[in-house]
Amino acid sequence: MRPSCKRVIAFCAVLGLAAVTDPAAAHHSTTMFDHSKVVSITGIVKEVHWTNPHVAIFVYGTSKEGEEPTMWLLEMTSPGNLVRAGGWSRTAVRPGDKVTVELSPLRDGKKGGALKKITLVDTGQSYTADIRAQEKANLE
Amino acid sequence: MRYRLRVVLLVCLVLATFIVRAAEPAKEKPVINPPPTAQDWADLAKLPDWSGVWNPKITDQDAQVKSNPPPWNPKAAAQIAHMFAEDKAGRPPPLFVNCLPEAMPSWMLVTHNAMEILFTPGRVSLLGESDGNRLRRIYTDGRPHPDDPDPTFHGHSIGHWEGDTLVVDTVGIRPQTYLAVNEAVGVPNNGDMRIIERIHLAEKDILHVDLEIIAPKILTKPWKTTRIYFRQRARKFDIVEGVCLEGYFAERVDKDGNAVFVPVPHNPGGNRVAPD
Repeated sequence: MRPSCKRVIAFCAVLGLAAVTDPAAAHHSTTMFDHSKVVSITGIVKEVHWTNPHVAIFVYGTSKEGEEPTMWLLEMTSPGNLVRAGGWSRTAVRPGDKVTVELSPLRDGKKGGALKKITLVDTGQSYTADIRAQEKANLE
Repeated sequence: MRYRLRVVLLVCLVLATFIVRAAEPAKEKPVINPPPTAQDWADLAKLPDWSGVWNPKITDQDAQVKSNPPPWNPKAAAQIAHMFAEDKAGRPPPLFVNCLPEAMPSWMLVTHNAMEILFTPGRVSLLGESDGNRLRRIYTDGRPHPDDPDPTFHGHSIGHWEGDTLVVDTVGIRPQTYLAVNEAVGVPNNGDMRIIERIHLAEKDILHVDLEIIAPKILTKPWKTTRIYFRQRARKFDIVEGVCLEGYFAERVDKDGNAVFVPVPHNPGGNRVAPD
């Protein structure tokens, strides 16, 4: 089977995984991520879910040289907050972009985490996601 | 003789209609919201300027968890302590993961998202971002609370101006709404909650919501806290649509080429399921 077919199937499997046990996403604490650690990954953006309440980015990549690439799920704050606090737009990061990502990893060891910073390899442009970075009036 | 009879009959008929009308109870006219007058609109210009977008001071929310905890009663305190422990262990209790509104008072207490405040005659309306269910209507037309308000997520709010401070009284809040101190720690108010707020500018572009939360089923006494908001005018801060459930769906194309939503699995903690 061609590698690209395998990737598509793997990606579909990720999305089809696990029966939903509880409805919906909404606001939740971020303590399921280990904020004392930082993991760096390099890869290609597969999907950007520019949605409330939490934007998600799927990156197909590796955390170590020579590792087999796999799908990583990055969670962050809402679109509105990203635009304001991090300078994002809906199209700042797009499928196909080569990126490096710093993240606070999930405590349960699964391939995902809270995004701290994402950098577009080709342009050097980077974006952060700190909701506590907009605590002044009349920001520009 | 016939003429007189006719006159008498006519007089009797007329009298009868008056008697019948008097016997009917006077029908009460329904209370209406009268159309605003030009003066009503002009009076809005005298109110303080609360325009722009207000985003919350999240670091102060964080700080008050330690510096100003609610006076929980023993039963609530035990649950709160357990929740803090669970959160610290990386298992945050999923209080707000079902897309129901954060509601009163938690919207004011723990929101991470912006809001805007609109003035119209007889009303102050708060519209929050990132969940279409964040909407508070504060009636300033002098009406009282209903005797038996239908319980709602944001309660029945009436307000009046004292100088440049809006004083709001809210009752009729659903007993299931949380009094939360962060997104993972809080208990349902369990009913009979009343919230008094004094909303005012503390500085030109800083809004304070001074809350007094009276929740006899979970607190030993009323709890006071001030929540702080910063005003933003830059257009990039405009409130954007936020549908809570949209994160639960991915955009796909179906077999007929239609743009559709397909559910994305989530775990009980409220996160999308990450790959193994």
